Amino acid sequence: MHRSRFDSGLSTSSLTLAVPARRLFFFSSSYATMDKMENGLRSVDTGSIRTLSSSHIDDESSLGSDSEINGFASERQTDKYGFIGGAQKYSEDTAQDIPTAVLRQREVKWLDMLSHWDKWMIKRFNKVRLRCQKGIPPALRGRAWLYLSGGKVKREQNQGKFQELDSQPGDPKWVDVIEKDLHRQFPFHEMFVSRGGHGQQDLFRVLKAYTLYRPEEGYCQAQAPIAAVLLMHMPAEDAFWGLVQICEKYLPGYYSPGLEAIQLDGEILFALLRRVSPLAFRHLEKHKIDPILYMTEWFMCAFSRTLPWASVLRVWDMFLCDGVKIIFRVGLVLLKCMLGTREKLKACQGQYETMELLRAIEPRYMQEGFLVREILEVPVTARDVEREHHIQLKRWKKNRGELNFKPPPRMHGARIIMLAEPPRRQDLQQNPTIVLEVPQTTPQLQKGKEEKKSKKKKSMKKSQPTEEIPNPYPLPSDPQSSSSELPAPPPGNSVMPEAAAQTETDSVGEQKTPPTDLPSAKESTLQRSTQSLSSTEQDTYL
Amino acid sequence: MQNNHHKEHLYKILVIGDLGVGKTSIIKRYVHHNFSPNYRATIGVDFALKVLNWDQETVRLQLWDIAGQERFGNMTRVYYREAMGAFIVFDVTRPASFEAVTKWKEDLDSKLTLANGKHVATVLLANKCDQGRDVLTNNGIKMEQFCQENGFVGWYETSAKENINIDEAANCLVKHIIASEKDMLQSEVPDTITPQLEKDKGGTCSSCFRSQ
Repeated sequence: MHRSRFDSGLSTSSLTLAVPARRLFFFSSSYATMDKMENGLRSVDTGSIRTLSSSHIDDESSLGSDSEINGFASERQTDKYGFIGGAQKYSEDTAQDIPTAVLRQREVKWLDMLSHWDKWMIKRFNKVRLRCQKGIPPALRGRAWLYLSGGKVKREQNQGKFQELDSQPGDPKWVDVIEKDLHRQFPFHEMFVSRGGHGQQDLFRVLKAYTLYRPEEGYCQAQAPIAAVLLMHMPAEDAFWGLVQICEKYLPGYYSPGLEAIQLDGEILFALLRRVSPLAFRHLEKHKIDPILYMTEWFMCAFSRTLPWASVLRVWDMFLCDGVKIIFRVGLVLLKCMLGTREKLKACQGQYETMELLRAIEPRYMQEGFLVREILEVPVTARDVEREHHIQLKRWKKNRGELNFKPPPRMHGARIIMLAEPPRRQDLQQNPTIVLEVPQTTPQLQKGKEEKKSKKKKSMKKSQPTEEIPNPYPLPSDPQSSSSELPAPPPGNSVMPEAAAQTETDSVGEQKTPPTDLPSAKESTLQRSTQSLSSTEQDTYL
Repeated sequence: MQNNHHKEHLYKILVIGDLGVGKTSIIKRYVHHNFSPNYRATIGVDFALKVLNWDQETVRLQLWDIAGQERFGNMTRVYYREAMGAFIVFDVTRPASFEAVTKWKEDLDSKLTLANGKHVATVLLANKCDQGRDVLTNNGIKMEQFCQENGFVGWYETSAKENINIDEAANCLVKHIIASEKDMLQSEVPDTITPQLEKDKGGTCSSCFRSQ
């Protein structure tokens, strides 16, 4: 049941290795397998094994106690993201499935990007962005997020820091509050479902470490969902540095005492809405609905508690690449969809009715494919956000005086973060997180299989014909003609808006560059028949 | 409608108190009649609507579930606006949450007053009473005194889990809200106009008409 989360990726080949059915283990082993595949040799780092043994995790704590506490034991069925229930559980209506073969090719590309990260970020950032927009393959999402956010560099430059913070007891004031929140984060996710289970333990470690790292900021309740989402994808130390980056670079001041930054962003959102949907703007203005009434949870949790899970992941892929403008765009899309027509407004005359409506967003507007396309169409750039920030800050100072807590400047996306704190070469090295000390006796067979599989994968790259698998869910920037050859795009997804008002992406130009990362040895017949576009352009689908 | 045969009341009620005292659970119990240990921590504000029959009139309660962490206190001014009543909740097993009650009451009174300058009706809830009464061990008389001194119209030992006293507490609050509303209306009489519909106009206004 755990494996389902990683099924879609390279990690499937690692299943044989991960004997104890435990998330963290699977996670680590999926890391390791991929590293192994890349380097062609086995890793010697024991980092996450230590993590495992030091936190006294056993199957009892993560699974056995559920029945007592939550009564889920009998009908426990996990979706591919680890949810066993709740509104965010996977449903076919809200997500789009990518064919495994497409995922495999995306993984190859991401592995290549991750191993030459600085070059890609500096020279071909538009391509990185485009790939984030298409969705990071699940098997590599954790690692990609860590690289995008700069958490990876931060971790390498502060080696031992997390361990140091982790070993300290923490201020009782914060420990007390954090402990009260542990069981209240994604209670329907199997990782966080059981009290004292490994998910809740790691959540505690990460949040407590942050209060020690930034004692003047302490802990804000909205940090817990952020940390939990990260923990679903990476070990505690990495999640800690990811959290640090989000709190300090992406959303500075959001969680600080006074919560001024989030209120300021509420004003910015409202001002941007005037341009995006004057109708919605006027409605909210008329009913005196202060932005913090509807956007606090959206923004502070980066929509992690609002959207269906597939959409959360896609939004985070883009958010960590491009920064807060993505969050603004999601907010604007939802407001526009829910309040953007006269008909809809007729149905919600009043403040309370409007807020009810915004709390019950229609699923079709949050559907993965729809939402991503809409986000890419919103004409709001980082510069727009900054400009509006300047205006609203002036207004704030005029009406309410100086900010009590002056946050560091906001950084709009992965590239700027990297340029601001250039990494050393060794900071970007991929360090495998687990050693697979496979005993030479019985599991020999399994190991053999394993190697064969990964070898097969490697050779596939070269010798096997690269089959063209069109993405059934193209982005607006994808070439139209080839996508019209798709077998049968699902209803609702076939409509593709004009070549994307992707304000800052120049992906169109990008597509003409032949791909360097995917040698196309033999072209499939399908491809040859697609004469309107060169085969290399197909690359952008994958 | 015209003869006030079936009057509708709409009241905004705040539910405030320290984090983790059970505000969300109380609301879910009251509105949805159930309890779960799986509620998420409230971030910002949440809402629920409860409809009551009250002396052949309909009372709609908008319950505003407000995040308990101190730093959200900076937003409470916006959340409190136009509320008519409030519950302040503490956890009987956690003395610190009781100590925070006066702080919450002060915050409420400093940011919210009724049109007649009075404070809104507020009921104190000693929640999680199924788990012991550590904070209340002294006795109820002291609580009565505490309520008087701090301007609460009443207090209840409640349990969202066991469904104890929540309806009673809500009824108490509604009773006081209605009383204070009458009080306000009386003091406001000179300024009040009573709209009356003329029979021959058929009860539709011109703008409704236009849109059809």
